[in-house]
Amino acid sequence: MDIIFFRVALVVYLLSALGYLGSLYTRRVLVAKVSTWVLFSAFAFHTVFFAMRCIKTGQNPVVSFHEMLSFFAWAMAGIYLAFQLKTKTRVLGAFVSPVSFLLMIAASKDMAGYVSIPAALQSNLVAIHVILAVTGEALFALATCAGAMYLIQEGLLKNKKVSSFSKVLPSLTDLDRINHICLMLGFSLLTLGILVGSIWARSVWGSLWQWDPKQTWTLAAWFAYAVLLHQRLAMGWKGHKAALFTLLAFAALLISLVLTSLLFVTAHRFI
Amino acid sequence: MNIILIGMNHKTAPLEIRERLYLSCGDDVNHLAEIMNIPEIKEGLYLATCNRVEVLANATDGEGAVARLRDFIFHHGNLSAEEMSKCLYLHHDHEAVRHLFRVAASIDSMVMGEPQILGQIKDAFRTAVEHNATGVILNKILHHSFRVAKRVRSETGIANNAVSVSFAAVELAKKIFGVIEGRNVLLIGAGEMSELAAKHLISRRVGKIFIANRTYARAVKMAEDFHGTAIEFDMLPERLHEVDIVITSTGAPGYVLTPPMIEAAIRRRKNRLLFLIDIAVPRDIDPAVGEIDNVYLYNIDDLQGIVDSNLKSRKKEAEKAETIIDEEVTKYLEWYSALEVVPTIISLREKMEGIIRGEIAKSSAWMENLTEDEKRNIEIMANSIINKVLHDPITGLKEESKDNSALPYIAAIRRLFGLDDK
Repeated sequence: MDIIFFRVALVVYLLSALGYLGSLYTRRVLVAKVSTWVLFSAFAFHTVFFAMRCIKTGQNPVVSFHEMLSFFAWAMAGIYLAFQLKTKTRVLGAFVSPVSFLLMIAASKDMAGYVSIPAALQSNLVAIHVILAVTGEALFALATCAGAMYLIQEGLLKNKKVSSFSKVLPSLTDLDRINHICLMLGFSLLTLGILVGSIWARSVWGSLWQWDPKQTWTLAAWFAYAVLLHQRLAMGWKGHKAALFTLLAFAALLISLVLTSLLFVTAHRFI
Repeated sequence: MNIILIGMNHKTAPLEIRERLYLSCGDDVNHLAEIMNIPEIKEGLYLATCNRVEVLANATDGEGAVARLRDFIFHHGNLSAEEMSKCLYLHHDHEAVRHLFRVAASIDSMVMGEPQILGQIKDAFRTAVEHNATGVILNKILHHSFRVAKRVRSETGIANNAVSVSFAAVELAKKIFGVIEGRNVLLIGAGEMSELAAKHLISRRVGKIFIANRTYARAVKMAEDFHGTAIEFDMLPERLHEVDIVITSTGAPGYVLTPPMIEAAIRRRKNRLLFLIDIAVPRDIDPAVGEIDNVYLYNIDDLQGIVDSNLKSRKKEAEKAETIIDEEVTKYLEWYSALEVVPTIISLREKMEGIIRGEIAKSSAWMENLTEDEKRNIEIMANSIINKVLHDPITGLKEESKDNSALPYIAAIRRLFGLDDK
């Protein structure tokens, strides 16, 4: 039953992605407005799916790698929608909704069945660890979207190519602000997530840190974000440099998220 | 008819070339003198603004005059023949008149409908008149162009929706800052253009307004008008970090803002974005400033590109204006073709005969008592008085017309006897 909501959400994510891309193509704001509502309904279906899973299994809904991808998509859409309330940045949806949709496609490969959680992972700490970390990472993904869009808009303005395309893109200041807020929130959540994770690890493996490939890459990404945040807050980095660095830091994070799960043997593996 | 208009504007010549020409043309009077030294030119007008350099002339020998005028521009702009042929336009006779009318009506302006150009033409005309460089033909064209400008202004919407440089600047500022409310603005240099831009921005409730000018008193005056703060010119580098938007339009020959100044300001601003608009020719801001991170520099040619995309909505008004201009060019040509000896003599006679007929009609009451013979004698007498009065002027006109110098006399007679007002 709950899987139906997942599939409906997947299709509606696709619709909103198409809508947003269509609004970019036609340069019509109305199309983007409608797409925002479509994205909101996808998010609602997706939320129902998570709620039903929780009730049915009575456990943490984010255990497997595929569940993590689906949760990532959900968090990104949710955070974007929250921003949408405050700022006029509809076009950012054209970056967010396709990513959500692709994550959902990847997640759908193995979503129908239920994963029974091994005893070692049946802890509230694990659930908190995963949710904090993935939400933090979703915020970073959004910061990256804003950064990429910043670089595009900046390129257009610097090269004096102010066309109707640059008109639909948000203003530089708005994009920089979103980038900044996402970085701050994302960094706090990821840091908390890592701390919770290591507390749990100590209780199970006896040590706080295992230098497992996934942990190492995550730490590298965490440092990259720490440096970026330091530059932003202390050195007053804004705009171009900050946006570019956001993209680099996210590349490191992607390696830790995806590649380590696929390429390395890691103790930090989802089932 | 040998009216020549030669020049270049923002559409035909890039900023660098206009700058070169404008720089060497600091002193209009000398250039006018140089133009008037060309023997083929009888009347001349020299117009140089930040968007155009044009010479309007009435010549005896069209081709010779054009060749020498080309030399004049070639020499001052330090241009190669290849560059010049790309940038220069040349109009003759009614096309020259039409071009001047379009310029005066602000249809040919970079910012269509901007009010500045008419004042600039009036200044150029005043200079020409003061140096006796104009005569019947140019005086008439110029006065006519002022009338055309007024008509276009009042009969079309071009002036109202002057989608101006300032409008384009506001649009850009929105792309950079999101909201303009609360952003601080600095105006460097005075001039109608920068004042226009300031008015546009103030209507968007900007934050503080700073005004700098080489003449401090002028800055203080402008600051009063705009409820802003005047800044000493030398203090500019100290205050730059306080502002988000800078509009420059000084007449300075060198750069007013340089990369080190902007870099320092950006550092003090903690990398907050800075939007610079340079509407001066020659430029006030070193183009290298545009390379600095988080600085957005737009000069007058860059703004052109943005103004173009707003043009469509005003095309209809422009078409209306073109129709008015067509009508006025026709009127001018009518006036011009009447500047011949024979038509003037005919209309002079017609006018006089009309007066006689009118007076006789008025006197018909007391003339009823006269015999037919007496009445005829009175008419004959009146006619012969007119003939005697007109004899000398007509003979004089005919004599002058033999060596082509009758124009001023014809124009004077037409004016004094009111032959053109019907």
